Amino acid sequence: MTSESRAEVSRIRVWDAPTRLFHWSFAAAFAAAWASGESDRWRDVHVFAGYLILGLLAFRLLWGVAGSRHARFASFAFTWREARDYGLRALSRNAPRFVGHNPAGAWAIFAMLALAAVVSVSGILVLGGEEQQGALSGWGRIATGAMVKELHDGGASLWLLLICVHVGGVVWESLAHRENLARSMVTGYKQGPAAEAAPSFRWFSALALAAAIAAFAHWYFEGYEDRAPGRTYLPFIGRALPQSAAWNAECGSCHLAFHPSLLPARSWQALFAGQDKHFGEVLGLDGATTAELLGFATKTSADAGLSEASFKIARSVPEREAPVRITETGYWKKKHAAIPEATWRRPKVGSRANCAACHLDAERGAFEDAAMHIPD
Amino acid sequence: MKKTLFIMLCLAAALPAAAASPQQILDAYAAEAKKANPAFKSFSAEKGRAFYVAKQGATGRAASCSTCHTEDPKAGGRHAKTGKDIRPLAPSANAERLSDAAKVEKWFGRNCNDVLGRACTAQEKGDFMSYLMSVR
Repeated sequence: MTSESRAEVSRIRVWDAPTRLFHWSFAAAFAAAWASGESDRWRDVHVFAGYLILGLLAFRLLWGVAGSRHARFASFAFTWREARDYGLRALSRNAPRFVGHNPAGAWAIFAMLALAAVVSVSGILVLGGEEQQGALSGWGRIATGAMVKELHDGGASLWLLLICVHVGGVVWESLAHRENLARSMVTGYKQGPAAEAAPSFRWFSALALAAAIAAFAHWYFEGYEDRAPGRTYLPFIGRALPQSAAWNAECGSCHLAFHPSLLPARSWQALFAGQDKHFGEVLGLDGATTAELLGFATKTSADAGLSEASFKIARSVPEREAPVRITETGYWKKKHAAIPEATWRRPKVGSRANCAACHLDAERGAFEDAAMHIPD
Repeated sequence: MKKTLFIMLCLAAALPAAAASPQQILDAYAAEAKKANPAFKSFSAEKGRAFYVAKQGATGRAASCSTCHTEDPKAGGRHAKTGKDIRPLAPSANAERLSDAAKVEKWFGRNCNDVLGRACTAQEKGDFMSYLMSVR
């Protein structure tokens, strides 16, 4: 904590093993979460990394009290003035060397821990609201979840910025004091007076932490173990939507029984009103059947926002329009814009109406982002 | 005349409640055909088969029943437009077929219109059914 005196300097224990394991797991989890954040395909990796970050954060808070000397929060609880002064002196390459965390680094650490809390908790809220998945599934409406996403994204960007500051600081300090700080976070050793050494590396606690991470990872990704050709593992299964036997029988006899949640109620009304010209066919449904189907469609239409897809489809269709093709809605177009024409022409796809070719949950109507598999 | 109508009404009333046999449905079409043409004798599976595979140009494309249902009614087919799998048409391969008069009428209604561009006659329907029932 104190700046180094001219006392005897030797190779001493500084970072205990749980602190180092925490540091690199935390960094890896952030990297994985950042890399998988925009991808539906890797959504489960992103969510796993998020839970891991929250768990690691909880461990770090505990270790900030129960850890060894330099891991304890009390050992690097500097005031803002100390941090600022240290930062200014460091910039003029005139800052003292600390065995543990220096005041500027300490502030970056606390800020990153706070952001980790914001980003991981908001992530679970987005997952539970917008996707209706995860530990807090269904805590709020899809629209609320979509709003929390702004906080989640903004927090993550700020966190990345702080990581850059942190890494920059490490490089700067390593050069200024001619020591490899990154390596000491691997080995745990630094040069310093014996009086400032940590008494032990606490290997047993590190082992327990490693075992907990491994157990969580195994539990989380277990589903992949009994994957087989034709039995793709779905990490996320959308929540069950209302079904109608009549709908599935009538619509499903010619094509996938597109769930009513994929178009607004006014579209279904237009579609049944024009059933004598149903994409070139005459449906000729009797009055009772038409009433039953239209009643189900109206009740569970996109206007009800029962799933993320339906909520976003409804939002993307202008009030005065009533498209009768799902592929004409703004949200559908946006989500499928990047798919090359050749993919649509693959034998197993063939048509833009063949949702089930890629959406493994098309029959259920959920259209969960991550329940995707584009066939060869 | 009145008697025939009475039988047909009874049949129609009974059908939704209990599944009919293909023969019952065929008999109703026979009655209808006789009404339309007093010279009607019987249905012909042979004519039905010719009808099943005949290419019709009505809707601007050459299509037949077999376009979607394949040349073999015992085989599963594929919807020419949507790609949806179609289960076999022949009752010998799919017991659900020709067992619900309303369904049979619904699909004649749709598919005749789609392939021929007009409604089918009772004679055509009966021939078609006779052919499917003859497939073993």
